[in-house]
Amino acid sequence: MNFLLTILSQTGRNLLQTWGSQLLNLITISLSVLIFSFFLLTYTNMIQAGKQLGDDLRLIAYLDEEPSPALQKEYKRKILKFDAVKKIAFVSRKEAFERFKQELGTDRDVLADMPEDFLPPSIEVYPRRSLHSLTRIKAFSDYLLTMPGVLKVQYGRQWIERFYSFVRLMRIVVILSGSLLILTSTFMIARTIRLTLLSRQRELELLRLCGASSAYIRAPYFLEGALQGLLGAALGLAALYVLYTWITLQFSGSALFSFFPFTFFPLPVIAIIVALSTLFCAGGSFSSTRKILQV
Amino acid sequence: MQKNSNEVMVELIKVRKFYPPDVKALKDVSLSVAKGELLFLTGLSGAGKTTLLRLLYRVERPDRGLVEIDGMDVTRLSGKKLQILRRRIGIVYQDFKLLPKQSVARNIALPMEITGRKKSFIRKRTRDLLERLGLKDKINAKAGDLSRGEQQRVAVARSLCNNPDLILADEPTGNLDAENSDRVMELFNEHRDQGATILIATHDSRIYGLGRHRVVVLANGHIIGAGIKRNPAPDNGDCHQ
Repeated sequence: MNFLLTILSQTGRNLLQTWGSQLLNLITISLSVLIFSFFLLTYTNMIQAGKQLGDDLRLIAYLDEEPSPALQKEYKRKILKFDAVKKIAFVSRKEAFERFKQELGTDRDVLADMPEDFLPPSIEVYPRRSLHSLTRIKAFSDYLLTMPGVLKVQYGRQWIERFYSFVRLMRIVVILSGSLLILTSTFMIARTIRLTLLSRQRELELLRLCGASSAYIRAPYFLEGALQGLLGAALGLAALYVLYTWITLQFSGSALFSFFPFTFFPLPVIAIIVALSTLFCAGGSFSSTRKILQV
Repeated sequence: MQKNSNEVMVELIKVRKFYPPDVKALKDVSLSVAKGELLFLTGLSGAGKTTLLRLLYRVERPDRGLVEIDGMDVTRLSGKKLQILRRRIGIVYQDFKLLPKQSVARNIALPMEITGRKKSFIRKRTRDLLERLGLKDKINAKAGDLSRGEQQRVAVARSLCNNPDLILADEPTGNLDAENSDRVMELFNEHRDQGATILIATHDSRIYGLGRHRVVVLANGHIIGAGIKRNPAPDNGDCHQ
């Protein structure tokens, strides 16, 4: 208990004595956490949106003529031969026309003079989650095109390609900003603590001569690093939350947000970010004290 | 009175310590100090007094010979064992080794915090020692703001705060007037009476001239004389070898 109290009071003294550099460290760590968690939040929301898009994803194979029930069975068999799918639906010319009419809503009058069979019949294939990667979808599309009677296959290819490219880019940005967080927290803390230790050689020597244990000497610096990581992450995430609230307020009611709900991190993710930041900062401090203090 | 006089606290056997290029600080020095004994190391500057003390608190290792404290070979001690031994030793350094930006109280509290003393004990012990050394009003002053004499007394207080088994004092009265020297010696004697072993390296004949104790004279790294000081007083106090 006394040991703990002494360590805590020593940590407090250290923080007070070097408050200037501590503040700078705190700001840097907070900014790093903010940048990293901002990209991570965007990335996770995009992944979520991607999943939602995936749920609605379907491949439409347009046919040259209405398939008979026997042919429908044959198509189903061929499709399932490629891979198991969630659902296969056949859309007749008439059904396609009805859908189109409904989609036009109040403008449906434009179809008044059109024949009800002007739209081609189609097969709608809803792939399973395992098929949702871009290459699999492409392969599936190519496979459907090889089936007899299929004129064209549509799945919003360009849009999906762009979306996946953006997700890939975001992944790289998240990795880079995560690395930035690790570098700043670990090396900056290590550097600051090293400088502090060098400026306190006299005190450290005295502690050693008085019989202080290695843990006694190192613990306040370790705690100092951990505290900076903890506070820096907490501040960074708090700033992100403010930013998130502002964004959701600014864009509330917009078409984009009604389609893709933009959500904040769940508690476990927040806890992991804080824990990692604390760990890296404590690690930086630990490596620094280990190098300098040859107790 | 010496206590446990048959038990040895400090033992040096044929200890040699040379510094490059050709400084021969200690040449085959042998010395035995009993538990509860007060021993003075005297001699001219450069005689090897400080080196001998530095070997005892293990900031230096001898080139040759044995250095033992309470039966432990200090040259072989490291890690936890060395830390525990150092907690049993109170040291007054020649350069005081105070933390100038820290308060007097904090400087004195340091060894007590290391040994896990309670806050209440630390406060009381610090106040008591400062009162005994005439520094009661300096408790919150920064050590760096004190005079040399005051700093020296703070260093003495820090060495005694944990009631150490062994006290090593390097010129503990070098900057003190007679009154403060007496205060310091009174405290040392009290600790000796409680069983502490004390080695004082000094030029100050005023302090080793009083009381009954051994005086060891070093010159050029050799012990050239040792004897018991018996009579209370003269300034040039001679030794019976």
